[in-house]
Parts: sequence; C-alpha cells; structure tokens
Amino acid sequence: MAVFLARRLAALVAVLFAITVLTFLIFQAIPNGDPALRMAGRLATPQQVQDIRVQWGFDKPIYVQYAKTMEKVLDGSVISYTQQINVEQEIVRDLPPTISLALGAGVIWLVLGVLLGLLSAMHAGRLLDRVLTVFALTGISMPVFFLGAIMLYWLGYKWGLLPLGGYVPLTSDPWGWFTHMLMPWIALSIVSIGVYSRVLRANVLDVMSEDYVRTARAKGLSERRVLIHHVLRNSLMGIVTLWGLDFAWVIGGGAILVESVFNLGGVGQYAAQSIGRLDVPPVMVITMLVACAVVVLSTLVDLAYALLDPRVRLS
Amino acid sequence: MRAVAHDKVALAFGALFVAIVVLCLFAPVYAQDVAHTGPDDNHITETVIVDGKQVDVVSPQGVPIGPTWKGRFLLGADSNGRDVAVRLLYGGRNSLEIAAIATLITMVLAVLLGTLAGYLRGFADGVLSRLFDLVWAYPAVLLGVALGVALAVGGLNLGLFTLHSGSLLLPAFVIGIVFFPYVAKPLRAHALSLREREFVDAARVMGSSPLRIMVGEILPNLTSTIIVFVPLIVANAILLEAGLSYLGAGVQDPNPSWGTMIADGIRLIPGAIHLVLVPGVMLVLTVLSVNVFADGVRDALDPKAIVRGRF
Amino acid sequence: MHRTLRSLLGLSLALALFAGLSACGSSSTGSTTGGTTGGTATVLMGTPPDSLDPGLGATTQSYEATWITYTGLVTYAHASGEAGTKLIPGLAESLPSVSSDGKTYTFTLRKGLVYSNGAPVKASDFAYTIQRAIKLGWGDKELLTENIAGGEAFDKGKSSSISGIQTDDATGRITVKLVAPYGPFLNVLAFPAAGLVPSGTAMKSLTNSPPPGVGPYEIASVVPNKSFALTRNPHFSSSTIPGVPAGHVDLNVKIVSNNQSEAEQVLDNTADVFDYNDSIPPTLISQVESQASGRYAKEPTVSGEYFFLNTKAKPFDNPLARQAVNYAIDKRALQRLDSGMLDPGCFFLPVGMPGHPTSPCPYGDPNAAPNLAKAKELVRQSGLAGTPVTVWGGSRAPHKEFVDYYASVLNAIGFKASEKIVADAQYYQTVGNLSTNPQTGWLSFSQDFPNPIDFYQLLDAKSILPTENHNLSQVDDPHIQSEIAALGPVPSSQLSSVVGRWQALDQYNAQKAYLAPFGYDEVPKFFSDRIDFGAAVFHPVYGNDWSTLQLK
Repeated sequence: MAVFLARRLAALVAVLFAITVLTFLIFQAIPNGDPALRMAGRLATPQQVQDIRVQWGFDKPIYVQYAKTMEKVLDGSVISYTQQINVEQEIVRDLPPTISLALGAGVIWLVLGVLLGLLSAMHAGRLLDRVLTVFALTGISMPVFFLGAIMLYWLGYKWGLLPLGGYVPLTSDPWGWFTHMLMPWIALSIVSIGVYSRVLRANVLDVMSEDYVRTARAKGLSERRVLIHHVLRNSLMGIVTLWGLDFAWVIGGGAILVESVFNLGGVGQYAAQSIGRLDVPPVMVITMLVACAVVVLSTLVDLAYALLDPRVRLS
Repeated sequence: MRAVAHDKVALAFGALFVAIVVLCLFAPVYAQDVAHTGPDDNHITETVIVDGKQVDVVSPQGVPIGPTWKGRFLLGADSNGRDVAVRLLYGGRNSLEIAAIATLITMVLAVLLGTLAGYLRGFADGVLSRLFDLVWAYPAVLLGVALGVALAVGGLNLGLFTLHSGSLLLPAFVIGIVFFPYVAKPLRAHALSLREREFVDAARVMGSSPLRIMVGEILPNLTSTIIVFVPLIVANAILLEAGLSYLGAGVQDPNPSWGTMIADGIRLIPGAIHLVLVPGVMLVLTVLSVNVFADGVRDALDPKAIVRGRF
Repeated sequence: MHRTLRSLLGLSLALALFAGLSACGSSSTGSTTGGTTGGTATVLMGTPPDSLDPGLGATTQSYEATWITYTGLVTYAHASGEAGTKLIPGLAESLPSVSSDGKTYTFTLRKGLVYSNGAPVKASDFAYTIQRAIKLGWGDKELLTENIAGGEAFDKGKSSSISGIQTDDATGRITVKLVAPYGPFLNVLAFPAAGLVPSGTAMKSLTNSPPPGVGPYEIASVVPNKSFALTRNPHFSSSTIPGVPAGHVDLNVKIVSNNQSEAEQVLDNTADVFDYNDSIPPTLISQVESQASGRYAKEPTVSGEYFFLNTKAKPFDNPLARQAVNYAIDKRALQRLDSGMLDPGCFFLPVGMPGHPTSPCPYGDPNAAPNLAKAKELVRQSGLAGTPVTVWGGSRAPHKEFVDYYASVLNAIGFKASEKIVADAQYYQTVGNLSTNPQTGWLSFSQDFPNPIDFYQLLDAKSILPTENHNLSQVDDPHIQSEIAALGPVPSSQLSSVVGRWQALDQYNAQKAYLAPFGYDEVPKFFSDRIDFGAAVFHPVYGNDWSTLQLK
C-alpha cells in the first residue's frame, strides 16, 4: 500500500512538472506574445516596455522565467500579467461556483444515470428501453454550451422560471443558490447521464447473463434481490471509476463551457478569460490544479477498487 | 458489415449522416442558385420582402431577421446580414472537414504509437506511455483552448510544414493531438495482450522482424477495435471543435463553423434565437447520427466493448 | 440578568441610539442642490477596474471611482457636454499662474483641507503623490515623467525626488517646472493619479484597501473582481471645493460580466446604474427604449472608430485607393453592427472635441447610402483592382463584425480582401509591430483629455516606432507635422483661440484620406427609476458622475 501511494505521488509530481512546462511552452509559441508589451499598454514608450521586461524577468532565458514563475506559484505569490491581483487568491475566491457546479452535477448524473441505466436494462428491448436509449444518445450528442444556451432562452427569458445566469453563494441565499445552479447542473449532467445510463445498461445486461446470477435466480431469489445484490454491486466498480474521471473532466473541461454560458464566475471561466487575455500565470496554476485533481481522483478510484474487490491487487 | 446491415436503425442514421455530408458539399450550389449570395456577403443595410412587406435584414439596433422560409434568407440572417442557411452549409463543410482530419490524425498517431508501445514494451513503452499520460492528464478543453489560442495568432511552423493561422488544419491538428491518448491507451493494452498469443510467438520463432510482426500479426487483430473507435472520435471531434470555436480558440473569422455560429448567436439571445438553434440542431443531428451508427458498428464487431462514448 | 450586564446593555443601547441619531443628522448636511440625500444605490460594472489604487488605476472603470475620491490640484467641472471639459481649481485655491515661457506652473494649496481620515493636507503631499504614481507604475505615467523636469531621473532611480517640483508646507505654495511647454499639462494634473494622498502612503499597490483622499467619497469593502463600496466622505461637504458636489447617496458597485444580466437588472429596477462602458444587448435595446424611455439616453463620447490605411504599403499608398474606401464604407451598416450606438461621421476628431470641423463631409453624407459606383471607379482608375488586402481586427464583438463588413466591402469594390482576427489582448501589439506591416485594419481611440493634440499623436510622424507603433497609417505629412508643432504647446485653457486652425487641419486630414473614420461611439446613460435622471451628470471625460446621483 505504501509503495503504491509513494509511486502515485511520484507520478503526480512528474505529471505536474511536465504539464507546467508544456503550458509555459505553449504560450511562448505566440509571436508578438511579449507580455511586457501587453502590460505596458497602448501608448507606452520603448523605455517603459523595457522597464517592465526587467521588472518581471522577461529579459531572462526561458528556463529562468519558468523557474521564477514556479517559485511564485509554490509560495502563493503569483501575480497575473494583466491585472494587478494575486492569482491564487483569485482562484480561491472563484472556487465556490465551480465546486457547487461539479458536485451538484456529479450527484445528479450519478443518481439519474444509474437509475435510467437500470430501468433500461430491466426493460431491455422494450419501448421504455428504446426511448431511454434515444434520450441517452441525444444527451451524448449535445454540446453543453448549446444546451445551456437553449435552456437559458426558454426557461430564463421566455418563461422567466429561472434566473439568467450568475451565481449566488449558498451561505447568503440557499434558495437563490439553488435556482441559479439548476440550469447549469442540468446542462452539465445531461451528457454524463447519457453516458452512464448506457454503460450501466450494458454492464447490467452483461452481468445478468453471468453464471452466478443464473444460480441466484435458480435458488429462487426475487428479481429485485438478484438485481441489487449481485448485479449492481458488480457494475458499481465500473461506475466508480467513471465517476471519478468524469468529475475531473468536468473541472477541467465541461466547467469552462457551462460557466461561460451562465456566467458563474468560477475557476473555469477565469481560465477561459485568462487564456483570452493571453495571461499565462492563472492558466498555469489552474491547469496544475486540475491535473492534480485528476491524478488524485484516479488514485482514490484505484484505492476504492482495491477495497471493494479483494481480487484486485494494487500494482 | 453484414451484421451492421441487419441493424436497420444504425443504417438509417448512417444514411442520415451521409445525407448531411452531401448537403454540405453542395453548399456552393445552394449559395448560387437558391440564396443568390455567398457565405461572407454582408447585407446589413438592405431590405428583403417578407409577406409582401419590406423588412430590414438587420434592424437599426442590430437585430437580424429570422427565417423567411423563402429562397433568400431561408433560415434568417446573422448580425452581419449574411444568409444563415448558406453559412450553415459552408460551416458544415468546415466542421466536418476538421473532424475528419482530426480523426485521421488521432487514429494514425494512436495506431502507430499505441502498437509500438504495446509491442516493444520496455524503454520505448515507458517513454510513450508517459507521453500518453501527459497529454491525457492535461485537461482536454484547457489544452485545446490554450493550443488553439496560441496557434491562432501566428500559425504553426514545424520546419517541415507551416500552417497559417487562418487554416482549418490548425484546429484539426489541435483536436487530433488532444484525443490521441484516449485511443492510444486501449490500443496499447490490446497490443500488449496480443503479444502473448501463440501466433505471435510462432511468427517470432519463424524469424519475422518486429516490424513484420506488428504489421502482419498485431495490426490486423486490432482492426475491429480501431473501427469501433473511428465514429466515436468523429463525433467527439465535431463536439470539441464546436466548443473550441465557441471559446474563440477554434475556427477563425470569417470562416464559418457550427461552433462559431452558435457563439455569435448566443450573443444575440433572446431576440434572434434562430442563430443558436439552426447550427445547434444541425450539430446535434449530425453527432447523433454518427453515434447511433457507431453503436451499430460496435454491436456488430465487438459487443463486449463498453466504450464510453464521450470524452 | 446580571446587574452589571444590564447596565452595560442599557449603555450600549443608548450609544447605539445616539450614533443612529447623529448619522441621520450628518446625512442631511450633505445636500447641495436640494435633492434628496441618503440611501444607497447599486452600480453595476461589466469589467472590474484594473486597480482602485489611484496611483495605478488607468481604465475608465477605475477612474469612475477614483476621480470622485482623489481630487488633484485642478479638476473638471461637474457638468455635461463641453462645460464638463473646463478645468476648475481642485485642491489649489485657483488655476495656476503660468510663466511666459509656458514651463513653470505655480499653485497655492487651499487652507484647512483634510483627508477622509481627518489628517491635514500638506503641500509636500503633492510631490509625494506624483512620486508614488511614477514608482507604482501608473498606466499613463509617461505623461508625468516626460513632462515634469526631473521626472525621468526619478523614474530611473537616479534621483530620490523630482527636481521640477518644489513645495512649501508653510505657505502652501507648489511650483512645477516642465521640460518643455505642454498644452495639456493641467489636464494631466486632473487625473486621479495626481489626486493627493498623504505623504508616507505605502509605495505598493493598495488596490484592496485604497489610501485616503480628498473628495466626495471614500472607497471601502473591496472584493477584487467582485465588488466594492463608495461611502460618502464625512470630511467633505459642498463647501470644501466650490464646483465639486458632496455625494448624495452611498454606492455599492458590483461586477456583472454578462451585459444581458446587467441590463435586465437595471430595467427591472433591481440595480440602479448600468455601466456606460458596456453595451446593452441589441435585442434588449428596443425594449429599453419603449419601457424605460424616461431613464435611458444615448450619450456622445469623444471617441472615434476608424479603419487605418497604411500609406507606406500597397494599395493604400495610392490616394485614389484610400478615397475609394472612404466613399464605399456604409457608416449606417457599421452603426447597426454597433447596436445603433455609433454616430456616423467622417472626420478624425470626434464631435465634442474642440476642432471637430463643422463643414460637410468630403465623401458624402455619412448618414446616407455610400457611393459604391464612385469607389469602384476610383479603384479601377488606380489600376489596383485585384490587389490582395489583409484586414486586421480584434476578436471582441463588435470589432470582429466591423472587420467582417469591411472585408466584404473591399471585395465589392475590387480588392481581394482576407481577414486576420487577433485576440483583443494582443491586437494593438500585433498591428503596432512594423514587421507585421498591416495594410489596413480596425482602430479606435478615445480621448485621454479634451485637447486635440491627444488624438493627433496618432498621425504624428514621430510616433512611428518599430514596435508599439501608434501611427498605424504611418502618416508622414509635413503640413500635419508643422501644425502639430505649432498648436501642441497651446495650453488647454486657451484652446478656443486656435479652434479654427484645428478644424482646418482636420478637414485637410479628411481630404488626404489617411484614415477611413466611420463614426463616434455613443454610450448608454441608463438608470433605474429610483434615480433622478435629469440631475445626474454625464461627464465628457469620466462618464457617469456618481457624485451627482440622487434618489428621487
């Protein structure tokens, strides 16, 4: 166990290092991407630009700049290129909407995905199954930002049922928080509900044809007990893996799109805006955080696997 | 393929996809003979006859008209007074072209590197696996947006070839890179297990070179997995391109793509919802048809494969 | 309850009552024009200020807050239109005396001024404030370092103070020596960066807890990128500085980066002020115009939208090609792309800037259909038909849309246009790099201060730089150069005497077609129905004057 964890930690550090280097290099590739010119503003003199260059270290070679930036990242003092604010503090301020979004959507898609998948499997081949499959497939085929925009238009503008975007903190107004998060949650989870219900359906159908299930049925156990005790437990592991990775995907990808459409002001939106402003420090920090989350989550998932199924060895 | 032919639904959706592709390919014909305008022609201060009345194509506040259901501006106009239906078809061409090229890049990279990693093992596998893990761990959309924005400014110059920043190959390149580990990793796993099979041992004993074994024995056995992945990547590529273009990191102006059209349309909600609905519905229909067809292919070739369907 | 506790409770209640009563009392002494005083207004902003520290902030959003918090030696009259461009004494007793060579300005500080924290204002605080703005790196600090003698040396660290500034705390006298006569110098001193802060204020960014100043308001409760508050300065009344009103309401400023949501909130009166820097989404404008006509107006700003035409590259080195562009652009189309918030125009200096010509446009009425036939004819005459032209533009709406339209027009008159859209954050850097050598593209400029020399630096041959080029058309015209040299040093207070010459220069510029102007920006003055719309001033330099906001 200790060896496993140590190895995973080493992998985490290696991945983070590689990712930060990659991010840094990507932004170096921009021609006319001299951040000093951008920071100096429109009517700056060449002298002013040079002063900024020296002040921020842009006149030093790339690896020195990289080292300096990483130093600042690790001791929490990164300042963004375009705004005079501390990046890490800004990220902390932007976490609540992103976490609310990811957790809420995560719960919704897990519950509904499993439910719909079970329903589909239990009625396999019949009308309900077909309808649910179409629904699932359409969910998978939908771009989240399009779905978000459509919901915003119909539920928000036309029928005035839900607020038009923005975020209300849970602590200041729980009902407001809920109504503001409802559409983003739905937009984000429909895709995953589609995926999960199909995976679960396939899993369940698979397991249902296994020997031990036939044995259980032969022993006279009710269909429901068979389903829950044997089938579900076996399918659960696949779901656990998926859920962990999807959660990380949401933070790293889906969140950006949904946050932008609904203007939630979360970390994803901050990342998208920073990229648009060609502001490297926030992008580096956020990317690191997300990658960190992915690796940590996949480690937890592997651990959970090992705990749930004694046959699996952590290697 | 015969097995797929039995699945009528999959076939029907496959046909739908082909129909959409053909429709988009006929964009110039539509533009010239039906709409009488090109995808980039602005008609901001012009008027058009709707129900006998002369209506501004774009109102003085900048709101464009909705569908006229006639030859000109069949599906309405956008804020620059351009014909939405014409741009839809040209945009479709771009979106589909990018998806096709991206899929090609992904599959080529994945097959090559995945097979090499799985078969060669050892040091080569170590390096390649780390590469897969690196790209895979980098949050997909963030990677796409960062690369897309960075490359959009100055294009890509790899010594061997140059991609100018207006080129469609750039987003295709970005998407291809983002997706390849999702295919490379399973292919590598598959190649790893194939490696231990008897027919590979036999080929080795017979003295075949590693290259011959990889091409002659391993690859053919990977075919069904590869085929299963292709439509999946196509579907995801179309969606990622739309997402990147929405964020401004994909197709660049004035080239239309379904993603940029939706992005422009979101700006004008609520008065001009057709600008979001038209490209959006088209996009969903296209991706759906690919997904249903992909299901059919998978059921026919490899029913045990529980492929996620969405990255 | 315990006896001591009870008496403590009673005491605190009494104190609370007393405090409440005195608060009520003090709020009523602040009214100036007899409108209501008291209450809080919610102001929305689409983009957060780049900094709330006056020594750093340089965007319009930050100026909106800082110009009513930090008053300098001079400031602007709190009035709309051209009246608001007039400079009035701020912390100085009167407008300065200027030496005959135009290089020395002498002020006397008003007596008895105190900051919002009660500390007295000293003359030496002026020197400290200027040093701080330079040290912190205010966005426009070159206006200080290039003009004040010793400013450069201080900036480079060669000197620990600015030799050109002399102050005497006992008499309150402040003397500023310039490197050379600079007409708009008083406008520079009217910037919030030159708004006095106490000596000893930390020489680092205090954006989250800005320093005290002299003005109707003080800034508090800053949550970066989210919100901040302006509360009325208890040490400022309407008689502190004649011409500067004491505020009527307290302000809560909230950042809402979605324009639709921002406009909706003001429309349904859940917020009070719409950020004039943002645009009301086009689909909402007709609703606003009909439902809220009494609290919505389009205000002109001194800011122009143009397409620059590179005179040093094909095809626009040929004057016929440049004239063709000016004939072909339909300014009404661009107006629609800007949701109607554009005043079509053809001259470089916008309406409201002294020097804007009153003569008719040389290329036809900007509010009428363009002359495409003439444009095509000119292109044909020039022999440049078929020349490939790359049009550059920024990515944010409607800049991108402007360029989409412009490219289609260029194609229509005979060129082969293609576009290159660059992220807004990169745009001016990219087109300002001479190695890019852009043929044409979008350009916009809004005034830093109401003096035409501010705009004409864009046409000054001396501004052509290898990177950070501001003269995108690369204009090098001897007549323009000589006029700039003659008119530049005229002090802002004497502009009216040379207005005729500026107008003549601008007409000359239009005939030469060095640029293709298409209009001047208009911005929305849009409030909730709680606010007294007529009493609120829209300032030509700083937009919504929050110190004139009052509840009905």
